[in-house]
Amino acid sequence: MPVVTSLILRQMRMPFIVLIMGYSITIIGMTLTPGVDEQGNIWHMSIFDAFYFVSFTATTIGFGEIPYPLSPAQRMWALVTIYVTVISWFYALGKILSLFQDPTFKQELVKNTFHKNLRNIHEPFILICGFGETGNALARTLTERRIRAVIIEQDNEKIRTLAIQQYPVFVPGMKGDARNPEHLLQAGLQNKHCSGVIAVTASDETNLKIAITSKLLNQQIPVVCRSELKDFEENMFSFGTNYVINPFETFASTFGMALHSPSLHLLYDWLTGVPDTDLSNPVYAHEGHWVICGFGRFGSGLFEHLRQYNIQVTIIDPSEELRNEFLSKSENKGCDFILGTGYDAHTLQVAGIDNAVGIVSGTDNDSNNLSIIMTACELNSKLFVVARQNKKDNERLFLATKANLIMQPSDIIARKIRTLLTTPLMLDFLSKATNQDQEWANIAISRLSGVIGNSRPNTWTVTVNKNETKALHEVLKYGRTIRIGNILQNSLSREVKLNAVPLMLKREHKIILMPTDDVAIKLGDEILICGTEDSKNNMNWTLNDIHSINYIMTYEDIPDSYIMRKLHSYLKRNERRKTPRKQLLYKNKHNN
Amino acid sequence: MNKEKVIFSFFMILALTLNFGFYIGEVDNPDHHNVYELFAVIVVNLIATILKFGDRSQMGAMLLATSLVAVVQLITASFVWAYVIHIQGTGLTPTAMATIVALSGGAMLANIISVVLLVIETATLRH
Repeated sequence: MPVVTSLILRQMRMPFIVLIMGYSITIIGMTLTPGVDEQGNIWHMSIFDAFYFVSFTATTIGFGEIPYPLSPAQRMWALVTIYVTVISWFYALGKILSLFQDPTFKQELVKNTFHKNLRNIHEPFILICGFGETGNALARTLTERRIRAVIIEQDNEKIRTLAIQQYPVFVPGMKGDARNPEHLLQAGLQNKHCSGVIAVTASDETNLKIAITSKLLNQQIPVVCRSELKDFEENMFSFGTNYVINPFETFASTFGMALHSPSLHLLYDWLTGVPDTDLSNPVYAHEGHWVICGFGRFGSGLFEHLRQYNIQVTIIDPSEELRNEFLSKSENKGCDFILGTGYDAHTLQVAGIDNAVGIVSGTDNDSNNLSIIMTACELNSKLFVVARQNKKDNERLFLATKANLIMQPSDIIARKIRTLLTTPLMLDFLSKATNQDQEWANIAISRLSGVIGNSRPNTWTVTVNKNETKALHEVLKYGRTIRIGNILQNSLSREVKLNAVPLMLKREHKIILMPTDDVAIKLGDEILICGTEDSKNNMNWTLNDIHSINYIMTYEDIPDSYIMRKLHSYLKRNERRKTPRKQLLYKNKHNN
Repeated sequence: MNKEKVIFSFFMILALTLNFGFYIGEVDNPDHHNVYELFAVIVVNLIATILKFGDRSQMGAMLLATSLVAVVQLITASFVWAYVIHIQGTGLTPTAMATIVALSGGAMLANIISVVLLVIETATLRH
């Protein structure tokens, strides 16, 4: 029996007993009280009559004195009946109402609904711990790709906002503390459909605990964690957390990419962004002097990347401790460390803002960061601005500053996890691409912009196997040769090419970047493709429909039904007989 | 001593004794079966059923089931009684009486099972 029903029943015991007692006493009393009928004879109500009388009296319906007008004695007892039974009803109703108002009961009711929703999920789902900005963005991405998500969040307010989110697929949410293993289990950690856990709460400690719990209680499923501190990151990896995402590190390496190769950075931005949003423009950072305000996790991460390219850097930070530590390191020679906040013009001028090419505003306070950017841009309008945005609410403000690169932790994490979950091959591609030179990236960008138009492309993976690409698998099994170029043909008119670019082909451990059209596809290949949504749908026809693939391969159309197939082969045999032997040989040779 | 157990046992056994009292006698003789006794059996049985509401133990569930069986049988019996007198108007014929008593006999069987379960529970508790 569910807890809720049992709670109701347990609470209703007393009211029910009071009602039954009230009814039985008044019914018995009614049958014992003498009445007078029309002829003046003494009569007694039967139990049936009395039950009828008490029932309509108790519920205040009041049909009147039936079957005969009541005698004074009966009226007296009727008074008792009214007061006893009506009050019993009020008591019972009051009890039910107060039960529904009870916070424990309400909580139990919400829990009950959640469990019902969870039981109704019959497909793989991902458990998202923490429903902040990142959790919300992830839930949206997952549901848009028709992947189910379940949310556990500690904050009552946040979990309530889940109800007003418009996801394409319903997302059940539970209020609970993810640090508590019991709560994680209730949220479906050991559910047979649970296919992954994402820990994106604001606290590293909570994320660590979630990772440990998940790894201990359900070893098979992958765990993705958000972590902002190095110690926690190492700790998480130590027991096999599959992915740990540090927004600061991720941003720093993206920044490094932007410095070293703007095209590559653009490619990264296009491929990992939300599909069908507007394309971003390339950012060009110039060589020269940089100023970093705030030398925390963010500033120091960027500093390392700048130093890799031997760029002159001046640091501004109010902490004397950091300064001493910084100056004591020999590799930091040649870089200045100025004590100060950075949002006053004087400090910036001392740091050489007038001749600088770039500024990083990387404090953990958004107002300070905005102030730094505005002051610096007033002093030197040509600056390349890298801003750290701490709160999602301030997005408009940061966009208004026209900063070249804006670091927004929840966005970075959502972006990375999205890539991880939807196209894991993309990570291989990006890590390979990082080693390529600027020219390669330029070619890639121009190829991409040729097919995708003005919005961010979709990326998808084609895995050549029996389940995902039925037709392609079938055709390859018969030994026919299919090339990359073939699957890029439009399955409705094969002369037209699809708006898609193959980014990478993975064959066992071998990786081919940007495979050309003549590369032959083999069984078990994984191909990463980027293009428009339409092309994706069109390609799915080629991959899964034997007629479409036959059409593309210019093989003839073979009928599906039994009779037509027989007729077809019969006609064909006749045709062969008519064809002279020599001509047939010639034809076969050319076909092969 | 558990107060809840005392109250429940009281009602359960009272239901059985009253039921027995109503059942005993010639099966088709209305003089041997009192309507108030049937009324009392129903009320006491209802209370015993309600006392088991929301009990999540296995024994509680069993007791709830047996009490519900008894209540259903007894209410059917009372319905037959009201029907023959007020709707059909034939009065308590031997056939009608036999039906009513037979139904209450079934209810008594359910009540006996309840009491046996109660005794078993108590016996296992006291070791």
